[in-house]
Amino acid sequence: MVVEVHLHTTLQRVEMGRDRRRLLMELPPGSTLGDVLSQLEIKLEPEHLLLVINGRSAEPEQPLSDGDIIHLIPAISGGS
Amino acid sequence: MDPIGGMKIWRVNLSRQSLDIEDVPETWQYLGGRSLLARVLLDEVPPTCEPLGPLNKLVFAPGLLVGHMLSSCDRISVGAKSPLTGGIKESNAGGSTGLHMTNMGMRALILEGQPTQPEWWVVHLSLQGARFDPADDLAGLGVYETARVLLERYGKKVAIALIGPGGEMRLASAGIQNLDKDRVPARINARGGMGAVLGSKGVKAIIFDDASGKKPPITHPDAFKQAQKAYNQALMGHPQIAIYRDYGTAGNARMCDGFGGLPTRNFSSGHFEQVEQISGEYMREILLARGGESEPTHACMLGCTIRCSNIFGGEDGKAIVSPLEYETIGLMGSNLEIASLDTIARMNWQVNDLGLDSIEVGAALGVAAEAGLFAFGDGERALELLDEIRRGTPLGRLLGSGAGMTGKVLGVTRVPVVKNQAMSAYEPRAIKGTGVTYATSPQGADHTAGLTIRAKVDHLDPIGQASLSRTVQINVAGYDSLGACTFAGFGFAAAPESIRDLLNARYDWQVGTDILQVLGREALRLEREFNRQAGFTAADDRLPEFMIHEPLPPHDAVFDVPDEDLDEVFNWL
Repeated sequence: MVVEVHLHTTLQRVEMGRDRRRLLMELPPGSTLGDVLSQLEIKLEPEHLLLVINGRSAEPEQPLSDGDIIHLIPAISGGS
Repeated sequence: MDPIGGMKIWRVNLSRQSLDIEDVPETWQYLGGRSLLARVLLDEVPPTCEPLGPLNKLVFAPGLLVGHMLSSCDRISVGAKSPLTGGIKESNAGGSTGLHMTNMGMRALILEGQPTQPEWWVVHLSLQGARFDPADDLAGLGVYETARVLLERYGKKVAIALIGPGGEMRLASAGIQNLDKDRVPARINARGGMGAVLGSKGVKAIIFDDASGKKPPITHPDAFKQAQKAYNQALMGHPQIAIYRDYGTAGNARMCDGFGGLPTRNFSSGHFEQVEQISGEYMREILLARGGESEPTHACMLGCTIRCSNIFGGEDGKAIVSPLEYETIGLMGSNLEIASLDTIARMNWQVNDLGLDSIEVGAALGVAAEAGLFAFGDGERALELLDEIRRGTPLGRLLGSGAGMTGKVLGVTRVPVVKNQAMSAYEPRAIKGTGVTYATSPQGADHTAGLTIRAKVDHLDPIGQASLSRTVQINVAGYDSLGACTFAGFGFAAAPESIRDLLNARYDWQVGTDILQVLGREALRLEREFNRQAGFTAADDRLPEFMIHEPLPPHDAVFDVPDEDLDEVFNWL
């Protein structure tokens, strides 16, 4: 399956000297959001991340489906 | 014992052109910023009065921690009965005004009365007293030119609060502008028409000259220093700070879009196809590439370590506007289908120069586009409409009167307002906790009254949103009473005892760790009481009807938090 991953602010990748913040990832069936995080080697702890699948807040254990749109946002509650 | 270190209330009467410097009444002494001005307004302003008449008063109140260059804690609250909402209003800004006021020993400045003749004045305040300088020569001048003339006239060391043509025309979206640390007049008490109230008193500008002034006294300097250190460490260690430093609030554009909550085409969609071109990530790239005067990282107040502000430069590197914030990008970008940051920045400069609230005017333009006054996406036409405001044409004045009035006159029912104030760039059908805040805040629809988007909840689920909004509304009303920027909250949330310790060291008080909530609850209680006496009921604590019935793409969400939950938000009262 293929999922669309949007990387926000400090999570953007630098490739060939340019920021890259939207990527398509091919994953084996049964993959979870946690697999995406580890494949992207995202170091931030899940509590410092807003994880969003198809517009809804999600947890790392959540299984993914083909075509899912994922947003990984470095943020935590507090502030306002 | 003097619990507030000798600070005074300065009372300027515009009918008599007089200044009285008074002791702070006992019931006002433990309040500051937003909570203090709510107390003053409830004590002194008849809630049913005409907002632009002689009975309304305009109050400037620095927060309780202002005056010590504590990072992100020198903010100024300005309030009055609002000509936009008809209720109480507190509008909050950074810049240098708060710091100058406390250097001059002002706990609050109250402007009252009204001149009988239509004349313009500059009120000059210094430790020598008040002077009322004729300012008819400044009438009609934009904010930037007015500030330039005033800095020439009064010297570069003063702080200034001023209005533009919008405030002179008493438009309900007119704000009051303050100088930032680089003397750019773009730190704005934007919301709720406070500039119209200042204009109704014949005041084009207030000069705060703190020459020979000094920092307010600290009773226990060592304890203060220690608490300051704890706060600074918590703030600087917070992962969110690097994001705001590098991307500013504009980083919220893709976040809101990811939640399906980016207002698009007059709040008819929560997803903007061209969000990339208005994103904070893209803005940072182009500002770094353009160089020159462009700065993706800039501080609005002295001593701020977050520096979330920016200077937006054009392709030639010359500054177009500073700052360009997310809420403006949302309301004047996606909400109008304008996908060019350069165009949005030019519109933002115009709105700043007119002295108006970019949220309110952006929402009014969205309603105007819906009515067919211009095509969504037509940035040049949007700029022409802003020029109508400058020329004071009936159409311009309509737009400057806000989204609610524009909807009524143009026959549009999709109007994103609560208590007649426009919503900010967080769609309440997708971010429902913020919808609860919009509905119930005594301030009208206002994201700064309690934004919930950073909470780890399912924002589409109506359950629990009222209680989330309650917690956040209380906390921000507390921060607004301290003079703390909402982002200072990252530090205070990580070191909550530092608020108690700072206040006790500064004032020799014995407050507990719940002082933030004590202040917040008191501010909200006073504000609700003012509105109740002004005639507000539970029926005013509701979102506009279309948001209850009209599904919002991409999630086809409606606002379905039950009315009973909305009515329970202030359940401690």
